[in-house]
Amino acid sequence: MRTDWPGSYLDGRTAVRQPARVRLMREGLEISTAEGGTRLWPYRELRQTQGAYAGEEVRLERGGELPETLLIADAAFLQSLHEVAPHVGPRFHDLRRRAARLRWTIVAAGGVLAATVAIYLWGIPLLAALVTPHVPVAWEETLGRSAVTYLAPSERRCGDAALGAAMDAIVARLMAAGPPAPYTMRVYVVNRPVVNALAAPGGYVVIFHGLLERTSTPEELAGVVAHELQHILRRHTTRAVIQDVGTGLLLMALTGDVTGPLAYGLQTARALGELRYSRRAEEEADVEGMKMLLAARVDPADMIAFFEKIQKEEGAQPKALTYLSSHPMPEERIARLKSFAATAKGAPEPVLPREDWPALTRRC
Amino acid sequence: MVDGQDPGRPSFFRKPGSAGSGASGRPATPPPPPVAPPPPAPPIPSGPPEIPLGPPPETLRRPTFHGVGGTLFGIHVVNTLLTIVTLGVYYFWAKTRLRRYLFSQAEIEGDRFAYHGTGRELLLGTLKAALVFGVPITLLNIIRDVLDAPVLVKVAAGVLSGSLLFVLFPVAMVGARRYRLGRTSWRGIRFSFRGRVWELVKIVLVGTFLTGITLGLYYPVLLVKRQAFMISNSYFGSERFDFVGRGRDLFWVYVQAALLTVPTLGLSWVWYVARKRRYFWNHTTFGAARFACTVTGRALLGLWAVNALLLVGTVGIAWPWVRVRNIHFAFRNLALLGILDLATIQQEAPHVSAMGEGLSGFFDSGFDLA
Repeated sequence: MRTDWPGSYLDGRTAVRQPARVRLMREGLEISTAEGGTRLWPYRELRQTQGAYAGEEVRLERGGELPETLLIADAAFLQSLHEVAPHVGPRFHDLRRRAARLRWTIVAAGGVLAATVAIYLWGIPLLAALVTPHVPVAWEETLGRSAVTYLAPSERRCGDAALGAAMDAIVARLMAAGPPAPYTMRVYVVNRPVVNALAAPGGYVVIFHGLLERTSTPEELAGVVAHELQHILRRHTTRAVIQDVGTGLLLMALTGDVTGPLAYGLQTARALGELRYSRRAEEEADVEGMKMLLAARVDPADMIAFFEKIQKEEGAQPKALTYLSSHPMPEERIARLKSFAATAKGAPEPVLPREDWPALTRRC
Repeated sequence: MVDGQDPGRPSFFRKPGSAGSGASGRPATPPPPPVAPPPPAPPIPSGPPEIPLGPPPETLRRPTFHGVGGTLFGIHVVNTLLTIVTLGVYYFWAKTRLRRYLFSQAEIEGDRFAYHGTGRELLLGTLKAALVFGVPITLLNIIRDVLDAPVLVKVAAGVLSGSLLFVLFPVAMVGARRYRLGRTSWRGIRFSFRGRVWELVKIVLVGTFLTGITLGLYYPVLLVKRQAFMISNSYFGSERFDFVGRGRDLFWVYVQAALLTVPTLGLSWVWYVARKRRYFWNHTTFGAARFACTVTGRALLGLWAVNALLLVGTVGIAWPWVRVRNIHFAFRNLALLGILDLATIQQEAPHVSAMGEGLSGFFDSGFDLA
């Protein structure tokens, strides 16, 4: 085996690379330079900092903060080193490990994939479920406010006083029927033709004008509002935000820091497309919203009629009805609402005068 | 446009291309005493030699990068797994591993750079940063937003946390640069950064104020001043880097880019970034040698466009290749001209801690090689 190798020596004090001869001995290296005589470097005092990847020089350092350095261009040196001094072990890179490294990397890739799927499917939802009940209401409000400034910027909000009063009346009627809630509910009507309604954490409901125009009675709108209020009261929104942030963090962890901006972009894109609730959350909001209507003695038939109406419209212009894409409405959902509505006791009381409603929905 | 921080780094490790090109911060401690006492070597002659020997040959040195996207990807995969398994603790070691690989693949004059930082240092630096800044700022924000405190107390808490944040950025920039340069070596000689944090705070404070009252016109001047601070406090061993630039040189470039924003749909800023990068490098010197940068707006646009396609098309998975592309691009467009007198350079390595690095990690401000 070869014990003599050419190399370079750096003394750690100057930037001069000195040619050196390296001799492999059983307990250490003997290094001779033209000007510096001969040094003996025991293996146990050395550390290898480069040379584990193809094309790199082997770099051995000795000493503390500002070490002396030995560079050997030929990686075969390592093989000889392990032959001459088999007891040095993993202190020095073993060329045979390179193939194993590739195998381990492939195994690790499988592990990352499995972990990602597990975290996405179970970890994040579980975490969100655990954290959500402990989020202070004040934080939810802060979160909701910032979401609303984006979703319903003040210049696009309908400022009509009569419309505002009608919204407040609907919310007051619904909220009065239930137990006291820690939220101050606010409804904003946004001047966009979109047929959609959504909730933001902390007590914000956003109704797009397109949806308002399609309601023919105040009870129809009350049904939509009750559903959204339940998303807030049951903290579905907060939970969805936490899940979203978790997914974003996961994405970021996967793609490394560099693409942080990209991951952030993807996440924002998702958030803009609006948060999605789980199917269970939707069903819960349905049921609880319906209970809310019944407790407030609002006629539930109108809500069901409204859902059926926009369900039918979907065939005609599928893209326009964003509300359906975020609130999927299969037959069984409507059937369930109907069976609930059948349990209504007592005569319903009108929420607002019906005859004023059509005019009201055109205001903004 | 992402050019907020862009400092060039005196080492060859600038990360062009990717969002926020490398920036750097310099700390404000007094230059620590050299670790190795400078030998009583003869001082470097400052004037021209008395006997003219004829002009020395202009030599041109280019850095080269040997890194491979596939290897980087492999390192990243293993890093990701270990980070997940350790619930994030491994993150600091992962970062260190990545950086060690990248630095080791960069070469100039036949020698590669070396990175000497450790994951432990990064972890401790981050913990320290969290204690010194994170905890107070979080507490103040809770007082401001959540607690039922008198309005005056809330306002005071808000102002205090705002000022802490304001100071935090220069501290993070300086700290990160000091740490990173201090842990980088070439031929066994360490780089170092010796700027004082308060100088940067002053530059940023005055600069932000003037930028505000001039409606943004002062901004290029602020950039140049910051760059001068970053570069001329950077050392390789005992030799200092220098930057001589004037804000007005960048001023018209900036104004032009601003005016053309609308007609070019914002693309004018790509050319601005290229010109700024050229300006910064071309005014950076090291001893008798100077840097020359040939980045053009068109080339930069091409680089970024392909990078964006790669990243979007692979949902970010291609980032190791993107990073390698960026470094290749930067190195291809960079050269060191003139005489590189390495014989007179002595080791001088001030002690540095990783706290600033931890701070910068908080903000992930992107001025980072790894």
